[in-house]
Amino acid sequence: MGAIASSVPSGGVALDLKNVRRVFDDLVVIESLDLRVEAGEFLAILGPSGCGKSTLLRMIARLAEPDAGRITFHPDTERFQTAFVFQDAHLLPWRTVLDNAALPLELMGIEREQRYRRAHASLRQVSLSEAEGRYPAQLSGGMKMRVSLARALVTAPRLLLLDEPFAALDEITRFRLDNQLRELWRQRAMTVVFVTHSISEAAFLANRAIVLSRRGGRIKLDRRLELPSERTDDLRANPRLGREMKILLDAMEEE
Amino acid sequence: MHALKPLTGVRGSEQSRGRKGPLLAAIPALVPFVVITSALELAVRGGLVRAYLVPAPSSVFRAMVESRGELMRAMLTTSASALLGFFLSTVAGIGIAVFLSSSRAIQRAFYPYAVFFQTVPLIAIAPLLVIWFGYGTRTVVASAFVVSIFPVIANTLTGILSTDPALRDLFRLYGASTLVTLFKLRFPAALPQILTGLRVASGLAVIGAIVGEFIGGQGLGSVVDIARTQQRVDKVFAAVLLASVLGLALFGLINLISYVTLRRWHASEQA
Amino acid sequence: MNRRNFLLGSAALLTACGKSSQKIRLALNWKPEPEFGPFYAAPYRKYGLDVEILPGGAGTPTIQMVGAGSAEFGIVSADELVVARSRGNDVAALFAVFQNNPQGIMVHASRKLTSIGDIFRHPGTVAMQRGLSYARLLEKMYGFDKVKIVPSPNGDVSAFLHDKNFAQQCFITSEPLIANRQGADVQVFPISDIGFNPYTDVMATSGELLRSKPEMVKPMVAAVREGLRIYLDDPKPTNVHMQQLNPTMPLDLFTETSEVQKPLIETEETRRDGLGVMTKERWETLIKQLKDLGDVEKAPAAEECFRSL
Repeated sequence: MGAIASSVPSGGVALDLKNVRRVFDDLVVIESLDLRVEAGEFLAILGPSGCGKSTLLRMIARLAEPDAGRITFHPDTERFQTAFVFQDAHLLPWRTVLDNAALPLELMGIEREQRYRRAHASLRQVSLSEAEGRYPAQLSGGMKMRVSLARALVTAPRLLLLDEPFAALDEITRFRLDNQLRELWRQRAMTVVFVTHSISEAAFLANRAIVLSRRGGRIKLDRRLELPSERTDDLRANPRLGREMKILLDAMEEE
Repeated sequence: MHALKPLTGVRGSEQSRGRKGPLLAAIPALVPFVVITSALELAVRGGLVRAYLVPAPSSVFRAMVESRGELMRAMLTTSASALLGFFLSTVAGIGIAVFLSSSRAIQRAFYPYAVFFQTVPLIAIAPLLVIWFGYGTRTVVASAFVVSIFPVIANTLTGILSTDPALRDLFRLYGASTLVTLFKLRFPAALPQILTGLRVASGLAVIGAIVGEFIGGQGLGSVVDIARTQQRVDKVFAAVLLASVLGLALFGLINLISYVTLRRWHASEQA
Repeated sequence: MNRRNFLLGSAALLTACGKSSQKIRLALNWKPEPEFGPFYAAPYRKYGLDVEILPGGAGTPTIQMVGAGSAEFGIVSADELVVARSRGNDVAALFAVFQNNPQGIMVHASRKLTSIGDIFRHPGTVAMQRGLSYARLLEKMYGFDKVKIVPSPNGDVSAFLHDKNFAQQCFITSEPLIANRQGADVQVFPISDIGFNPYTDVMATSGELLRSKPEMVKPMVAAVREGLRIYLDDPKPTNVHMQQLNPTMPLDLFTETSEVQKPLIETEETRRDGLGVMTKERWETLIKQLKDLGDVEKAPAAEECFRSL
């Protein structure tokens, strides 16, 4: 299963954000942020709506430039080694599931045979093999998100960015996908940055969580979560999870 | 390459209904036609409506049969011109829209001139068309082109500019060039909107061709013009009816194309 | 004047006023131009008539309008009236402004053509309304295989000016003058040369109106007859008025045209029998020609086509 990532050395990529600042018109979304993300970390970014977490993610993805400060990557990744999962699946409706999953490779210029092989494997990872020939219009919300995940993983990215990807799904599906995401992270060597406003999701998935302030993008809390590395559904009933959640909640509520 | 798995559940029942569909589906459209023609026939025969103003459907039919050779030839001529004009306005219209979509500055500079195509009264520029293109097919095609191009430009532009920004981000993420993004993302995404524009343009192309024929002389437009001068209202209506059939056929063609290209993925072609 | 006469006179005047309150619509088949001078010059009020003149343009269906009742009177040509009658449209002619048909075909003088038939014996383009009776007569007489027939540009002469081998249907009082002013050397062949000479610029009305309101029709004809006299004697004031309604035509062209059209209007017949007069013989000739051409199936009787009022 790790064979798909054959082109990627282990360890993912580390991020270094220094004095990062972002302004929209007159509003200072992020004042001056310093953050170091270790290679291979699963980082959750928490905060209320409008706190700048999505903006921060887009800058890490290099879809937007900071107005001041720098973001450096170690090792310096090429573009396609960063993958992004949006809040909605955003599949191309005129393509099949397989063609959607293969899209990044197609844009990179990888030839047909290879990209279909890798897309096929990627879809198998998210248990969607039988749906390969279907069109997005025929899929449920959860299935579409899984295709989006498979698409993100098809390039064997070193850095995986997710922006509230499961927010629109029902709880059971969300739990399932949480499990699947965590499992995929464990199998591959990649850094994951996961933006969410769900405290329980952040606590369940991440090994480190930061909480951003309501305005200005200030880091109110930066915590390494004291939870086992194996996260199963049992953990959801575990008081240790509740404790971590309380800590995160307190941080979010304090102003 | 990957065969579509048999569709079950939601879509199954619609599939079987489709088999006897086309014939049954045509019936509601024919009912008003039958009712109106019968009523008109009775009205003319009864003297309620004067035959030299509105011809009895039976006399229109007779005129069609009598002049079938002439009308068929005229219809073929007009069809060819309308189709060519429509094809040209499709290609040019999409091309111009792609050009306009490249930057806001270009849009602001050139879009107002595209609107010119929408508003210019054909009769006013008719003498110019004749001087540039001469009497005959070229003027007719030019006329069909001028009249039908604007909806193609407007709808295609809207479609291209309405691409989902998240998808554009996705393409940027993987380093896709502007051209690649245009062909693999913006164009297919714009297709439903483009087809809407083509639907409107198809009818206009037929109208443009007929008006062009008033000016340039041939086809159904010429038949209408000559019959009108001869006070042959029945023949006028016969020609007009055939022109409508032509418009319908073109419209149906676009619908067919829309069905084939969109049915798997766009809400407009799905139950 | 004794009391009785006074009362009768007042009554007559009052009824005349009552009549004048009904709006009478006269539909023209072209824009206001010298051919319609008599209609704009006519002293309708004097005859107790309240007339509204409706200018027309290309393709105005005056004969259908009269038949359908959307105009009480309309300007038509005799040949289209015959065809209309044969199709069941009960209309009749009352007054013919043009005794002779002003239609013609104009060519460039440089071609040195000698007769109307010549036009069709040499290659070139001829712009003509193909549905017109005289067009079919020309086809019958000379054949169209050497020339290219294209639709008539309806008064616009740009195509004519552009091409030396271009011939165009015209009113000899109109397009040739315009083309001349733009520098062309024009030669005109009247259609009457081939013996086709329907009355033109004819005021017609519906049989319905003739039967139900003869008291409206007779004064109308009298007013128009007087208007024509006024216009022939002094077209200037009427031309000024019409030019305001049709500003695209310059006033001096109005003056020139009203002179050029005089020989078509005042002829031996009119000096003898009055302006606008029509004869049964000429109608019969026309009806026969149209029947031979196949433009009418059932030929109407000449007496039904016109009235002498």
